[in-house]
Amino acid sequence: MAQPAKIQLRTGSAAPPGGQRFFAFLRSLLRRPTHAFGTGVFVLFLLLAVFGPMLAPYGVNQQIVAEARQAPSAAHWFGTDRLGRDVFSRVLLGAADIFALAGLGTLLAVTIGTSLGLLSGYRGGWFDELLMRFFDSLLALPALLLALLLLGTLGPSQSSVLLVIVVVYIPIVARVVRSVVLSVKTRAYIEAARVQGESSARILFREILPAVLPALAVEAALRFSYAIFLASSLGYLGVGVQPPSPDWGLMVFEARGTVSQTPWALYFPAAAISLLVISVNLMADGLKRVFQVNLEP
Amino acid sequence: MKPWLKFTQPLFLVVTASLLLAACASTAPAPSETGEGTLRVAFQSLVQTDPALISSDSEVLVANAVYDYLVDIDPLSNQPIPRLAREWQISEDGLTYTFTLVEGVTFHDGNLLSAADVVWTFNRLRDPAAEYATASLYENIASIEATGTLEVTFTLTSPNPFFLYDLSDNHALIIKDGTEDATDFNGSGPFVVENYSAEDRIILSANPDYFVEGQPGVSHVEIIFFADETAMVDALRGGQVDLVLRMSTPLFESLQDVAGIQTMAIPTNGFDLVRLRADREPGSDPRVIQAMKLATDREAIFELVQQGYGAIGNDSPIGPLYEAYFDPSVQPPARDVEAARALLAEAGYEDGLDLTLHTPNTGGRPDLAAVLKEQWAEAGINIEISVEPEEVYYGENGWLEVDLGITGWGSRPYPQFYLDTMLVSEAIWNEAHFSDGEFDSLAETAGTTLDEVERVEAYSQIQALLAERGPVIIPYYFPQFGAISDLFSGFQLEAFAGRTDLHTIRLK
Repeated sequence: MAQPAKIQLRTGSAAPPGGQRFFAFLRSLLRRPTHAFGTGVFVLFLLLAVFGPMLAPYGVNQQIVAEARQAPSAAHWFGTDRLGRDVFSRVLLGAADIFALAGLGTLLAVTIGTSLGLLSGYRGGWFDELLMRFFDSLLALPALLLALLLLGTLGPSQSSVLLVIVVVYIPIVARVVRSVVLSVKTRAYIEAARVQGESSARILFREILPAVLPALAVEAALRFSYAIFLASSLGYLGVGVQPPSPDWGLMVFEARGTVSQTPWALYFPAAAISLLVISVNLMADGLKRVFQVNLEP
Repeated sequence: MKPWLKFTQPLFLVVTASLLLAACASTAPAPSETGEGTLRVAFQSLVQTDPALISSDSEVLVANAVYDYLVDIDPLSNQPIPRLAREWQISEDGLTYTFTLVEGVTFHDGNLLSAADVVWTFNRLRDPAAEYATASLYENIASIEATGTLEVTFTLTSPNPFFLYDLSDNHALIIKDGTEDATDFNGSGPFVVENYSAEDRIILSANPDYFVEGQPGVSHVEIIFFADETAMVDALRGGQVDLVLRMSTPLFESLQDVAGIQTMAIPTNGFDLVRLRADREPGSDPRVIQAMKLATDREAIFELVQQGYGAIGNDSPIGPLYEAYFDPSVQPPARDVEAARALLAEAGYEDGLDLTLHTPNTGGRPDLAAVLKEQWAEAGINIEISVEPEEVYYGENGWLEVDLGITGWGSRPYPQFYLDTMLVSEAIWNEAHFSDGEFDSLAETAGTTLDEVERVEAYSQIQALLAERGPVIIPYYFPQFGAISDLFSGFQLEAFAGRTDLHTIRLK
């Protein structure tokens, strides 16, 4: 299990050692080639998401009638799709969308899930029982099925997909956090804090949370990769983000009907999904090793 | 010029270049007298086999091979032609139709076909208690009588200039008088059902007693059931089947220049329409739909969504397929974004107009929505697209409720159907909630007059009226696609693919 003493993030503001620690962390993360690859590709995608709008040679829905259905060329690196749109520009601009959707969804799910997990694990009793049984009932359904059920009720839109990601991942995050809390809360230093008369809130956020952070970082990275996958799957099923959004899953879905004519319009967004999901997973693997976290129950 | 641009001609056969060369190089041998060989067709499986209940293309294809229609429609001229009825007379007042049947036609069980069978068939189809889809179609029939062994007389309550087309409705296949089980395949048609396995295929053999000399052209037909279009086309490419009807444009494109396969594309009168509700804001101001028409680039839509197949539309359901009724001089206004903007401003939307465009998730409809979104945005019409499964779009009549929607309409052999069910004030599917006194009276004239010249004139005026102030944008008419192995000849695709005659196809 994690060693809380080693991860004193709360003292990070105390300048020089903080910077050094970050570089030590980075060196350790990048030590293995697979982890370095994952992190590198992830950072690259992040940069593309941020600077995509400046780099894209064409508008996201700009339709060039005369250049429809063209194979990849110097003018159109990834070719053009059936409606004369530049696939490279769309993949590039879709990166920002997927980061916003999956990133924001993961952030919300992690924040809410962590709060609930901390509370549930620390307080125990009927609150813990009730919340965990409810989460168990949600987890009993496959994530995609739960997502489809929710979308069927909410109707397809970007905010619905965001909500679905949050709802599907809160129970998972909460469970992970709770299990760490349970193993930490009986330790002597928590006892000591309690004896000192510290408030519950202070114990939760200043004593227990730091112990949870390593596991949380890994979990957040994994959730992020699954969120990308979930958002793309929903796009592919046509129940998520609505056209003409450059959502990668939606692009694959739309290009499916014309795959005999414009295979490139299908392959490039599909490759982008795979590459990003793999890279985030590899990075999560690296984080796991650096933090020496064991997420297996 | 790209080959598909020629497609605006009424009928255009697309044949692969290699085939054209082959056809020029050698003269085709004369067709054999007795049909031989097996034609293998890939199509969807059958759900219904009772002629009164069939609806899908594959169901109609089988029925058209096993049974006969009284009157058929010629795929090239779109005119009624004889089938079981050898000839017919229509009374001066247009109320009495007398048909003379072909002599010596037998059902597959050996019984002779007579006028009683025709009477029985149509009485069954129009029986209100049976609730068949044809009941309302034949409401106008007052009586059907056998006025001879081979003579049937239909009497109508009011004149119907399209009655012969109604008699050729997909369901109007003649079955034996008193048939108890109409799924018994006991027709008089060119093929006899040999074996039907609902999950796999239906095997037909040539009817040796068929009344048309030299037909059918092959000794056996196998209709093999496929669930997926791509698989059908792959089977054709691999030589496992010989004929594929109906496919998407990309799949059709992928068959061009494939050795051993000839492809055929014909225009139909099916179309997608974009319509704005005319009975409430913002559509109640006619300038809004006008602005939408002005903001629409039809050529770009035709090229992107239809890939140049079919024909460009002129905002009227009377397409070029109805040669005499179609008025090519009527054109919607050319694209003019500035004029569209100005009209919107006049209508009070100088800061732009925000609307949701609802569309079913089938065919090219989502693509049409995506293209319109871009085109209209230039004129300040901002649309959010809502792509919905068909059961959601059409469910609980939601499509009749929304302001802005895209709806697909299938091809019909005559245009009056669209006017009466979609555009007149009282139409059951008046999705645009359009109500225009002048239009209603023109539609009434066209649908009842027995004077062909008057009808042509009414249809022409209707097209002009719709281009000017109609509530719909019809950007294109669909094509119909088919592809057949070049070992066969005599294939003529129909706009409704299921009505394609298998009995004229033969081995070269």
